Amino acid sequence: MDKKTLLENGLLEQYLLGELNAKEREQIEQLLASDAELKTHFDQLEQNFETLGLENTVTPPVKVKTQLLEGIKSSSNATKVVDLKSNNNSKWYLGIAASIAGLLMIGSFWMYNQLNQVKQQLQTVETNNTELNTTIEVLNKELRDTNTFYTAIVNPDTEQYILKGNDLLPEAKVVSYVNHKTKSVVINTERLPKLDDNHDYQMWADVEGEMINMGVIAKDKTLMTMAYIDHAESLNITIEPAGGNDHPTVEKLVTNVYLN
Amino acid sequence: MQNDTTLIQHLKNKDERALSLLYDKYSGAIYSVILKMIRDEGKAQNILQDTFMTVWDKAENYDADKGRFYTWLYRIAKNKTLNVLRKTDPLIQTDDFSVHTNKEDAIPIDTEYLELKGAITTLETHHKEAIELVYFKGLTHREAHKEMDVPLGTFKSYVRQALKQLKETYAKTLSFILLILNAL
Repeated sequence: MDKKTLLENGLLEQYLLGELNAKEREQIEQLLASDAELKTHFDQLEQNFETLGLENTVTPPVKVKTQLLEGIKSSSNATKVVDLKSNNNSKWYLGIAASIAGLLMIGSFWMYNQLNQVKQQLQTVETNNTELNTTIEVLNKELRDTNTFYTAIVNPDTEQYILKGNDLLPEAKVVSYVNHKTKSVVINTERLPKLDDNHDYQMWADVEGEMINMGVIAKDKTLMTMAYIDHAESLNITIEPAGGNDHPTVEKLVTNVYLN
Repeated sequence: MQNDTTLIQHLKNKDERALSLLYDKYSGAIYSVILKMIRDEGKAQNILQDTFMTVWDKAENYDADKGRFYTWLYRIAKNKTLNVLRKTDPLIQTDDFSVHTNKEDAIPIDTEYLELKGAITTLETHHKEAIELVYFKGLTHREAHKEMDVPLGTFKSYVRQALKQLKETYAKTLSFILLILNAL
């Protein structure tokens, strides 16, 4: 096959259009590679066919391209790495998406921590609040008691009687405040020596020779209210077994005072 | 726009963006050819996608020394379309051009897709028909000369003359464009 035959038989066109068999193709390719003039002619031919094609463009639907790009992504995982590397746009968007996701995650984690902290703080505050409330209650009760004692003591109708210890307990001193109008008795036991766990001081009122129980004196208080007994002639304190006694142990009388 | 050489190099390195750009540049021309051959939009779209899949997979086979990228692409598309046409009706022989006239099953396509545009419309009817048969309808020279009912030699000269005229038209257009560009 020579150049002349090639041109006259339109083989170049047929070659271009892909009509030739492998053997003919090879021959033409050899000729084209060795003949610059022929190659130029072929180039021109190709260019014309291309222009012809581009002039008759029919735009295909967008979905074909979408499917194509999806297709090449799923067709090969090996190429995916390269694709990502070279595709700056998607990498960029991917980066932004990843950053946002990361920030959201950190944000959520931070919020979660904050929530836990706040919960803990709230619990502490609640506990403190309960404690404070208890304290206030205790203080209120103490205040009430103190107020009661105070009003009882400062009342102009209140009489003060001092019970001084006898030979059995010379260092003892109890101050009693008796108000016959409001019928109240308050005693200050600050100067009463401590007793062991098996014994208590007990107070008695003498009414026409009979000793009537006014109550057991508490060990942990310095001011306390005792029962008021009508027509009492004297106040007496004895040492009795722990918890008190029905009748006074007269031998253990430590102090007494007569009311006038 | 990047030139083809660079794009093709990127394509061979499996750069999706290169494929995307080459698709944007050539898919219309190729789709037009496939449509005119197969006359079925659904099949044409499948073949077009398949063609570019092959371009992606076989990019390393393309040798720029042997011809333009578009020519390579055209040949792939044409072969695929012919294969589909043969499969569609096994009775139809490769050299039987009736394949293009005997298709009752095909979904009729918009005739607008079959109309030719551009410089080819300025050619004489028989020149135009010759090009249309071998270029847009995918017939071989041997099939086409029978279709036109002229001897093969005559048909070949039709093609040659048609191409010569197209070349002159394009050259004129090109010089016209160059003239305008110079004037600007």
